[in-house]
Amino acid sequence: MAVSGRINDGDVWSGGVLAALGVYVVLEARQWDYLTPEGPGPGFFPMWYGIALVALSLLLIVGRLRQPRSELEEGVNWQEVSRALGVWLAFALSVALLKVLGFLMAYAALACFVVCVMYRRPLTTGLATGIGGAVLFQLVFPLALDVKLPVGIFGY
Amino acid sequence: MDVLAGLLQGFAVALTPSNLLWCFVGCFLGTIVGVMPGLGPASTIAMLLPLTFQMDPTSAMIMLAGIYYGAKYGGSTTSILLNVPGESASVVTCLDGYQMAKRGRAGAALGIAAIASFVAGTVGVIALMLIAPPLAKMALSFSSPEYFALMVLGLAMVVLLAGASLVKALLAMLLGLWLASIGTDLFTAGSRFTFGHSELLDGIDFVIVAIGVFALGEVLGSMETREDAQVLPVPKGLRNLLPTLAELKACRFAFLNGSVVGFFIGILPGAGSTIASFIAYGIEKAVSKHPEKFGTGIPEGVAAPEGANNSETGGALVPMLTLGIPGSSTTAILLAALVLWGLKPGPLMIQESPTLFWGLVASMYVGNIILLILNIPLIPLFAQILKLPVYVLYPAIFGISVVGVYSVAGSLFDVTLLVVFGLLGYLMRRLDYPAAPLILGLVLGDSMERALRQSLMMSQGELSILVSRPISAIMLGLAALILVLPLLRRVNAWRVKALAENG
Amino acid sequence: MHRHLKTLCAVAIAGLAATTGYAAEYKPTRPIEVVVHTGPGGGADVLARFIAQVVEKDKLAPVRMQVVNKPGGGGLTAMSYVVEKKGEANTIAVFTGNWLTNPLMQQEAKYTVKDMTPIVRLVLEPAVIAVKADAPYKTLREFIEAAKKSPGKLKQSGGSVTSRDNVVRMLLMKTSAANWSFISFPGGGERIAALLGGHVDMMVIEPQEAGEHIRSGNMRVIAQVAERRLHGYPNVPTLKEAGYEIPNIPQVRGVVAPPGMPPEAVAYYEDLFGRVVRTAAWKKYLEDQQFEDGFQKSGELSKFFDEYANRMRTILQEGGVKTVR
Repeated sequence: MAVSGRINDGDVWSGGVLAALGVYVVLEARQWDYLTPEGPGPGFFPMWYGIALVALSLLLIVGRLRQPRSELEEGVNWQEVSRALGVWLAFALSVALLKVLGFLMAYAALACFVVCVMYRRPLTTGLATGIGGAVLFQLVFPLALDVKLPVGIFGY
Repeated sequence: MDVLAGLLQGFAVALTPSNLLWCFVGCFLGTIVGVMPGLGPASTIAMLLPLTFQMDPTSAMIMLAGIYYGAKYGGSTTSILLNVPGESASVVTCLDGYQMAKRGRAGAALGIAAIASFVAGTVGVIALMLIAPPLAKMALSFSSPEYFALMVLGLAMVVLLAGASLVKALLAMLLGLWLASIGTDLFTAGSRFTFGHSELLDGIDFVIVAIGVFALGEVLGSMETREDAQVLPVPKGLRNLLPTLAELKACRFAFLNGSVVGFFIGILPGAGSTIASFIAYGIEKAVSKHPEKFGTGIPEGVAAPEGANNSETGGALVPMLTLGIPGSSTTAILLAALVLWGLKPGPLMIQESPTLFWGLVASMYVGNIILLILNIPLIPLFAQILKLPVYVLYPAIFGISVVGVYSVAGSLFDVTLLVVFGLLGYLMRRLDYPAAPLILGLVLGDSMERALRQSLMMSQGELSILVSRPISAIMLGLAALILVLPLLRRVNAWRVKALAENG
Repeated sequence: MHRHLKTLCAVAIAGLAATTGYAAEYKPTRPIEVVVHTGPGGGADVLARFIAQVVEKDKLAPVRMQVVNKPGGGGLTAMSYVVEKKGEANTIAVFTGNWLTNPLMQQEAKYTVKDMTPIVRLVLEPAVIAVKADAPYKTLREFIEAAKKSPGKLKQSGGSVTSRDNVVRMLLMKTSAANWSFISFPGGGERIAALLGGHVDMMVIEPQEAGEHIRSGNMRVIAQVAERRLHGYPNVPTLKEAGYEIPNIPQVRGVVAPPGMPPEAVAYYEDLFGRVVRTAAWKKYLEDQQFEDGFQKSGELSKFFDEYANRMRTILQEGGVKTVR
């Protein structure tokens, strides 16, 4: 497993987000019935795990802040992170376009992007992977298994 | 009816050429369905129902059952090779299975999964055959307090799955609990955390979270650096394609563990194979001599959950065949099929339709053998998938994930959720939050809350109901033990160290 | 002059015939889409597939029926899908009680059945009230008297708070001034297991689900929730006969269509389903499933929707469930 401490502030930030979530959950839970005459209401469980979320995330943050910073700790490798986030954005975009382009075209575009931009292969490889993959998906899923793929405005 | 006589009669039915063919068809379809993420045995069985009206009910049942337990065999394939759970119960197999594949032992992992499935599946059938009716009666004494205790036991597994940071594991689990409560509250019909989206009224499907967090999180993480090499080392040579004797020996207890745990949890209506896999995995880790190795890719970590989710099918058939009570959505459809064919599933079915019951039982023995024979030679074939270059495989994983999620309900909203969970999975990887507790929280959260509220409604607010009943008390005690055991170990190790230093 | 008049008449008649002929006939040319709100194997799905099978076997339509599953949102996803197919003559949907009740409570619902075109009502599902075979209650009155003696102690297992199980309970509690608690279980299997295991005292269950348990002697039926005695239970009193006059809130299934469906298409489907319910296969299905025939055409169905919604709203509000419509 990775060495803990690879990201200093990550723990603090994520702890903060989780604490905020916990607070939100508790606030929502207060609007529902905590106990009804028949038994615990919908607010019962959320109240407790909301509180636990807040408590544990604060514990995480405090624990992290109290740790002495050693010089051996590296900063965040932003180049790596931006690569991964870039791919995620491309993926999110292709999903957003599913309604318009349909699965096959969106897939081909994403595959092409990954091959050409992420892995710096020539455009021909990218197109081959994308189109080849799309054809395979069409053959396997709708045709052989009768599983519908999202279709776009072009009918595919 | 005498068991031996019944079984002989059953084999006479199951081994006819046409029934053998139907068994094979069912197992084959089941394997494919299991391999494909998102596509489940329930929908396949439902789609094939109209075709079965022309068939003899026994043959039809043999085929449909083949799909049911065949899917459990197939589910491990994508879990091990791609970290994409093929079926909700295969999530646990991802934990060690994928790690084994990363170390070049993909073939061994697939082999162990197949063998564990075979052993456990067979044990499940034997148990079904021998002790079904009395066991069913026992299962009836299980109710909400016992379910609650079972869920607590499951959640105690979090401690075992924690890895380096217990706080982060607990936070992941709490996040999972929150995700589980999104949707409509069963008891009051009020909606929680739906943000106004009607698509969230039924909650978030487990498959979406599992595929997003596991598969996509992993892919995004791997894309941080541009590796030109192949994704995973391809196992070369027959020796690497199959488990070694040493590995099989290490799994001895895991086979037993998976079989027993899976079967007993399967009997309980409503408890699922996912819970069975988690608990089997947890027990295996708890009794292991090297618990810290779990999660890094050891064979027992594959054998225990895979065995559990297979013997669970045998268990789930117990209430269905002996009482006419469906335990899961798949058994509910099988039950509906029996009714549609004019049979009467219930306590009297075994006596009135012995051919069906014994034919089915015998066919399950045959089916497990067929599946073992089907799956082992497929291993080298599947392992070839790993030969694909990274830039082909990763987009394919994106594509399969989308198709898998879309096939659940045909909803693009679900796919959008998948994108969100993919990001979550990546962030969790980056920040060292373990993913397994999140899944555990998601799976158990709902059931646990329900069981607790039902229990308190039954006892009118008395918490003592949870410990006054023997079974739930035992399970809660076990959970407490599991929580305390690692602590004891640590205390013991510290004591030993202190003694050594002083002596 | 006569010649012109004749031609004029001929043309007029031909024109009249042409226009009425054009308006009178609707025939589907593509497979009919039947939308259901459950996944494969769910109640509505099984019914839709059965109807499709009957239509195909007896060749009641020139095209086949294709079941489209749109699960999610407690039925709201399917409802939105249907309403958004406005004007489509090729799409119909199977509705169940959920479609009528859920929008009353869910803020997230965008549409109700009133936004759709009613076609036919098909079946009413009766229910029976069952207890474990060794329970001390032989009649419903005994159960209710016991409940009155220890309020809140007796328990009933059932589905969600808005399901028919609970509606029957709330109505019975209101007329009898008794009180017993309701424990929700999401699956039918769990509800039955709770009763047979002795963890709850009573449940409302569909006759076809209960059949085998009664036959094997594990369950006893003490009353039936139906207008007339079901032929499977000739010795069990209905609620009215047992002395409890409560409005009949049946579990219903039928067919609706998108809004704006042309009247010829509506007439076509009414006629089609009219023929379906007359087939032998359908009659056998009703018998096997122990459903009551509740055939109504679109006019009556529309009135039924209003009545049902109003009654349901009152019942829910009196039972303490929040309604938003």
